[in-house]
Amino acid sequence: MPAPLRLGLLAAVVLGTGLSAQIATDLVAKRKADFHTQATDADMKRDGGTQPRDWNYDLPEGVTTRQVTFYVGGGTPLYGKLFLPRQFSPRGRWPAVVVGHGINALSIGIEKYAARFADRGLVAMAIDYQSYGFSGSGADDLRLLEPDTTTDARTVTEKQARVLVKRTNLNNVEEVADFRAAVSFLQGEPGVDPERIGIWGSSNGGTVVVAVAAADARVKAVVSQVSGAPPSARGPAPLAAPMLDDAVRRARTGQGAEVDGGFSFKSKVDMWSAQRNRDVRPGSTLDQIPATTRVLFLPAENDELSGPGGAGALAATKYLMERGVTAQTIIYPELTHFQAYSHTGFDVGSTLAADWFLKYLGTGAPPKTTKAATDSLNVRR
Amino acid sequence: MRRRAYLLVFVLAAVSTPLAQAPKPGVSLPDGVTTRDVKFFSEGVQCFGRIFLPKGLTADSKAPAVVLAPGWAETEASIEKYAARFTTRGLVAMAIDYRGWGKSGGFLYLDDGVRWDDRLRFSQHTARVRIRRKRLIPDAQVLDIRNAISYLQGEPGIDRARIGVWGTDMAGGHVLVSAATDIRVKAAVAQVPVIEGRDVPRKAFAPSAVQQAQLVRLARTGQAPATAIAADTMNEEEARLALAEYHPFWYADAVPPTTAVLFVVAEKDTKVNNDAHAAAASKLLRGPNGVTVIPGATHTLSTPGALEAAVEAAAAWFQKYL
Repeated sequence: MPAPLRLGLLAAVVLGTGLSAQIATDLVAKRKADFHTQATDADMKRDGGTQPRDWNYDLPEGVTTRQVTFYVGGGTPLYGKLFLPRQFSPRGRWPAVVVGHGINALSIGIEKYAARFADRGLVAMAIDYQSYGFSGSGADDLRLLEPDTTTDARTVTEKQARVLVKRTNLNNVEEVADFRAAVSFLQGEPGVDPERIGIWGSSNGGTVVVAVAAADARVKAVVSQVSGAPPSARGPAPLAAPMLDDAVRRARTGQGAEVDGGFSFKSKVDMWSAQRNRDVRPGSTLDQIPATTRVLFLPAENDELSGPGGAGALAATKYLMERGVTAQTIIYPELTHFQAYSHTGFDVGSTLAADWFLKYLGTGAPPKTTKAATDSLNVRR
Repeated sequence: MRRRAYLLVFVLAAVSTPLAQAPKPGVSLPDGVTTRDVKFFSEGVQCFGRIFLPKGLTADSKAPAVVLAPGWAETEASIEKYAARFTTRGLVAMAIDYRGWGKSGGFLYLDDGVRWDDRLRFSQHTARVRIRRKRLIPDAQVLDIRNAISYLQGEPGIDRARIGVWGTDMAGGHVLVSAATDIRVKAAVAQVPVIEGRDVPRKAFAPSAVQQAQLVRLARTGQAPATAIAADTMNEEEARLALAEYHPFWYADAVPPTTAVLFVVAEKDTKVNNDAHAAAASKLLRGPNGVTVIPGATHTLSTPGALEAAVEAAAAWFQKYL
């Protein structure tokens, strides 16, 4: 963090004014020319996805990693990569952040955010959602290719069987569950303070994290990048042909139509995903977010997917603030959706996100403070 | 305890009945009514449904249809008596087993050892799997109801635009959630419903220390269990956690004003407080709604005439609003 910003932050905290709920945005103003360069340089264009060169990063000095398995939905194994900050000790108390990818992206594309967060003193865990990357397919992504002869006489049966494994099953309801399982995993990680967990999500993941905040009060800080749904009404989503026909086809054959779902890597998803994801409309559950959860939106000004000008994020922020929930929107000037992940977009975006987490989750502490009640959550495998 | 005894009776019956047999409903069918056993897919799992077809239904008919959902830890067999009776009112009725219950398939998990590649969207394997049954996950059950609606909408002789849902006990809450989340539900009947959540503010779930410890344990060591004892324990723990944040009451005001919801309650229900559940929920509905009290009846509707009165109320509601 540049020195002036650090001072600005300090001043805001010390003064304790209304503005102190916000993080400083001078960095954006200071990098205005760089944003402009990124927006206009042909080589920095990112239409239709990030590029493999955007995923690379150097592991910061002193940061260590560990690949882990955690479980969701009754036994589906998910993949996480933990990034541990310098001086991390399993006997200390550190804030921790779950880092989640967008539509048909993968954790490998956003590891660099986790690395950056660890460099700033946060424990960070990049995850693959179920049926993506190194994570297993969920019970709803696996199909038995022979009759299921199990009965209620046995609650579990182990056997050799023919199975169909389905991948890239985009499903925001399950992604909410995946984030929450990751939070649970981190709560039990020795050295992590179970009361100081945050979540970071980008693009579709940015939509999901706001829904997670409405579902789970254990989340104390949220960063939603290049997303932002405005407040909306609750109730059922419309469902008309051809989606309705697809619902029938799914129920009768087990598989509906497919569409191109790939952004950063090309793959198919179920056409139904678009409908299913309407069961998660974070704009309709903003009022469920408690005041103990702080939400930062980082939209891109020229976002061709989530809408221009950060309008949705600004409306959601206003709505939350009016209800006593700390929220803030900081817009990446001139950038498009996928430019957020590279160059100045990444530099500034990861810095602001870390600022937010450090402000609302605090910093790590070496071993000394112990609270028996919360320590009991740290169960070792 | 009584519930367990009931379940045991069912389990024995289910085990002794081969799946491929011709449909043999546990109830006597009204004259001209036929049944058809079907498999519908709910999120990849083959589920069991028994469709009761009214007399005279043809592929050219445009009949209204209702999905019937069993109560907590119950199966399709327990609600056939309702489905059979609805057909005498011209309704097509489909009684279902939830995923992991009755004649439906279970939840599937791969043992270690299978590798995949996202470039191959569907891959086929022979592998060690664990199949879990008797999980009680309310959200999954709601999805099963919605997927059954999808199946019904592809059934010949049915009017896609006239779909209702019926549920008893916990499923009374499920139908309310279905009505608030699925636009295809035009009429709903919640019988002796459990509609939790009136006294819980609609806010993010804040798990207690004990619940947090359970969540941590499931996330860190919650692979699909290998033994019956472990599976039973996990079923119970998962169900308790899922119930802690399942609040059908929160959905009442999200039901569209075009959806008609009836609550059928037993006057002497000692299991469910009707004032706190059905009556309170009905006040939040924006569309046509009602509360029908079955005099003298208990939660099981086993007193003389109670079942018939409950059927009558539900059937009349569906006839009126479908």
